[in-house]
Amino acid sequence: MIQVENLVKRYGDLVALDHFQLEVQDGEIFGLLGPNGSGKTTAINCMLSLLKYDKGDIRLFDEPMSADNYRLKRQIGVVMQNVAVFQELTVYENIDYFCGLYVPDKVRRRALVEEAIAFVGLEDFKKFLPKKLSGGLLRRLNIACGIAHKPKLIFLDEPTVAVDPQSRNSILEGIKELNRQGATIVYTSHYMEEVEQLCTRIMIMDKGKAIAIGTKEELKAMIRTGERLSVEVYDLPEKILGEIEKLPGVIHAEYEEHYLNVRLTGGGHSLVTTLDLLRQRDISFGRVFSEPPTLNDVFLEITGKQLRD
Amino acid sequence: MFWNIYGKRIRGTLRDKDTLIWTWIFPIVLSTLFYFAFSSLDKEYTLSSIPTAVVMDEAYEADAMFQEVIGAVSGEEEDALLAVTFVNTVEEADTLLETGEVEGYIQAGEVPRLVLKENGLNQTILKSFLDQYIQKYSSIETIHREDPDHMEAVTALLQQESFTEEVSLTGNPPSNVVGYYYALLAMVCMYGGFQGMRTVSKLQANLSPVGARQTMSPAGRFRLVIYDLLGGITVHFGCVILVLAYMTLILGVNFGSKTGAMVLTCLVGSLMGVAFGALVCVSSRLKEAAKTAVLTSVTMCCCFMGGLMVGGMNYIIAQNLPVLSWLNPAARIVDSFYCLYYYNDYERYLLNIGILGAMAVVMFFITGIFIRRQRYESI
Repeated sequence: MIQVENLVKRYGDLVALDHFQLEVQDGEIFGLLGPNGSGKTTAINCMLSLLKYDKGDIRLFDEPMSADNYRLKRQIGVVMQNVAVFQELTVYENIDYFCGLYVPDKVRRRALVEEAIAFVGLEDFKKFLPKKLSGGLLRRLNIACGIAHKPKLIFLDEPTVAVDPQSRNSILEGIKELNRQGATIVYTSHYMEEVEQLCTRIMIMDKGKAIAIGTKEELKAMIRTGERLSVEVYDLPEKILGEIEKLPGVIHAEYEEHYLNVRLTGGGHSLVTTLDLLRQRDISFGRVFSEPPTLNDVFLEITGKQLRD
Repeated sequence: MFWNIYGKRIRGTLRDKDTLIWTWIFPIVLSTLFYFAFSSLDKEYTLSSIPTAVVMDEAYEADAMFQEVIGAVSGEEEDALLAVTFVNTVEEADTLLETGEVEGYIQAGEVPRLVLKENGLNQTILKSFLDQYIQKYSSIETIHREDPDHMEAVTALLQQESFTEEVSLTGNPPSNVVGYYYALLAMVCMYGGFQGMRTVSKLQANLSPVGARQTMSPAGRFRLVIYDLLGGITVHFGCVILVLAYMTLILGVNFGSKTGAMVLTCLVGSLMGVAFGALVCVSSRLKEAAKTAVLTSVTMCCCFMGGLMVGGMNYIIAQNLPVLSWLNPAARIVDSFYCLYYYNDYERYLLNIGILGAMAVVMFFITGIFIRRQRYESI
């Protein structure tokens, strides 16, 4: 569905995309995960021929993508990071307008617009102007404008930024439904939980490069971290923290705001060993949390920094 | 696709209060202010009979020539110089002067006496009239006394014949006010620039998210621009016509009888304004607010040189900087209206319309080329 090879995009001296490679298969929900400024939106804008790029080859639907390849554009839907609607048009008129750029037939368009409105749950707001909508509803309108024409390939660029949890769940469910209906989806976000929940394959990006790609299981298998341990500790001397770090199976330990956070290798008895050490040193501890590794751990281990930095 | 874009553009623009305020409400308010400020201006330049009292005392009764002169310059006609009230005594004349019923009074005598209360145009005319009478009377009397044989020649010379005739080519009276309304209409036409700017900014991916979304759609940008501009032009032209109708029908401003040609001028002026705004927006890399500032400044400069703020400025620019005057769209619009008002033939009017139309076409063409080739380094 999408093949990007050696894509290079520079803004002056800054390399926004550094020999970026991507391949997305038909029917996937493909996630682009990375911190702000990692090049996710730039990659999408280049793929859509909205931005000039310095080097590289982009093919969509096995055809070279260009600004005037209207046949390809007709099959693509875009939901942008910023809400892109006309403030003077109602919810219905906005969706109808953008759908009309793809579907000239009025009767078919009417059905598609109604379907899109129902899909995002804006039936009660058809005659509302965008300024009367809440942030969550506005995002839903933004999505409806991008998908009303039933595209085969949909780019969703951080569609849940600044959205309340209820609307976020509704949006994520909607995206899954679009995929079930046959659309291939490219989803960018810096929310790792969303990407984990939604995407069949994930690319982690940093500084314009793909640093890891695979399913979430494959990505997590790439790193040493098998478990994250958090222990509530009132006071922990530096010496004991050092001892914990030397325990077998411990990758990294830190003490912060009365919590001992330990990254452990998967399997074995690392958790029990760590807690035993605390008991032996008469360190009283409260609640204990154990979690499997997250995509943030993947990012952390590869780049040495947090995904949210 | 045309009706989708065109119709939504019209609907959206009609809901955009800012646009309507500047292109419709503001000109209506300004024209109303013009109406109240300038309604007496034309009257100031129209001479009406001067209310004057004449004392019918013994000296007046005895002076047949003076009676004849007073009779000749007064009367019921509109163009009579004096509107005379005859009184019997000086006291009565004084009373009329005090109460303001007359501008002055004349008392016959060896040398007729003029009594005035205030200074002003009418008083100056009265004084000039009486001075002229005294001077001519004195000349005639001297010649009659010293060389009576030449009286006939003197009489012939004193006949006040006019060798020129005032003719209005279109039947419209000269007006000092109509120019302000023309300049205002030109300004409204030029405000079409905001419509042009809106179209282009909503289609440029680097200026608005809506622009980015439309750029990614399969609708060709050239087509998007044309359909959207047509919607903008329709709304703007409608606004100009409403302002023109308000001036003509509500304020009663006399623009002459060539209504069709005036509407055509408004249409071409609107096209010019919209094209100008589109070109300003597409040709620079400034942010939208900066582009708006540039457009507003240039528009107001054009209107200033077209005579909006200072009456007659268009003539000064035309005399001293003729090229600038010909290239100033606001001046061309104002001049087109003037031609319709004052000239019977359409030669100069059509030249103006041709220049405006050509400028609009060139601007639309350049805008189209810019839009079609535009891709972005950054968004």
